[in-house]
Amino acid sequence: MTEHWRFLDTGSHDAFTNMAMDRAILEAHRTGLVPPTVRVYGWTPSAISIGYFQGMTEEVDVQACQQHGVDCVRRITGGGAVFHDKELTYSIVVAESHPKIPRNILESYGRICGALVRGLEDLGIASSFAPINDIVVGSQKISGNAQTRKQGIVLQHGTILLDVDVETMFTLLKVPSEKIKDKMIADARQRVTSCSRILGRPISFKEVAANLRRGFEEEFSIRLDDGALIEEEREWTTKFREECFRQAAWNYRR
Amino acid sequence: MHVHTIYKVPQGKLLKISLDYDDATNVIQQIRITGDFFIHPEDGLELLEESLRHTPYDHDVILKNIKHQITAHQLTLIGVTAEGLTQGIMRCRP
Repeated sequence: MTEHWRFLDTGSHDAFTNMAMDRAILEAHRTGLVPPTVRVYGWTPSAISIGYFQGMTEEVDVQACQQHGVDCVRRITGGGAVFHDKELTYSIVVAESHPKIPRNILESYGRICGALVRGLEDLGIASSFAPINDIVVGSQKISGNAQTRKQGIVLQHGTILLDVDVETMFTLLKVPSEKIKDKMIADARQRVTSCSRILGRPISFKEVAANLRRGFEEEFSIRLDDGALIEEEREWTTKFREECFRQAAWNYRR
Repeated sequence: MHVHTIYKVPQGKLLKISLDYDDATNVIQQIRITGDFFIHPEDGLELLEESLRHTPYDHDVILKNIKHQITAHQLTLIGVTAEGLTQGIMRCRP
């Protein structure tokens, strides 16, 4: 019998709500309130997220972000700083003990990224998993991913670039010096790509979301049922947003 | 003495290390490690930092301490290794 998981398209939110919602879903699944869940979402306003182990002021020009109206938030997952602009972000929450999730963390990145690779393939984009945590088209990155495991539950979230604006990205992220900024922008243009660049046409969030959803269904041999956040998840989203992700003590802790 | 260094772990991630150590006694007073690596569970990094405070600024001691913490707390390091961390820390020496 085919297993049913939940699919959420939660639309666009600010950075603090987005990170709180992933945490709330993890908590709801841990306490057995909801099935394994795949969520897709966007960011309004645009935002920078940094990895759990990064230093905010080390990575981010916070003043420039304020000037551009860009939120800055620390994730509960490791990995690097990301400029969330024209992209689709997904998260998956599933028990570590689920038979389709490898216990080995690196292998589980490969498995979950397999769903993204399938989704991109359905869009007409041939990509592959590039360990540790990227998906590439040729040698160019189209997706970055980050995972944590808390009390037996896996949370992996990541991005698929719909379009890319490296100039703005390097205005918001700290660069070692202005002198090499142009070179870094040029390098990033070589190293990073996007769905619309590969396909040569603009591509919508909805189109990528539909293909990604199918990618997850194929990779995990599951059905994804449309769902909504339950009451506890909405409450916990507010709680984690206010008590953690909006707090300077969290965002500037390293 | 306060030192700061950036070290790319071979085949791994970028480490940024801030270190205070006492020149006279060669003991680490304070250390902060940041970067785009992964440690599971995440509070493992604070345990690693804590275990290095007030210990000799010496390659073998640092490596032994880090390895001990990894085993004791069953830490999984991704994009960084005990040796990579040690190399990064040792590069702080001017």
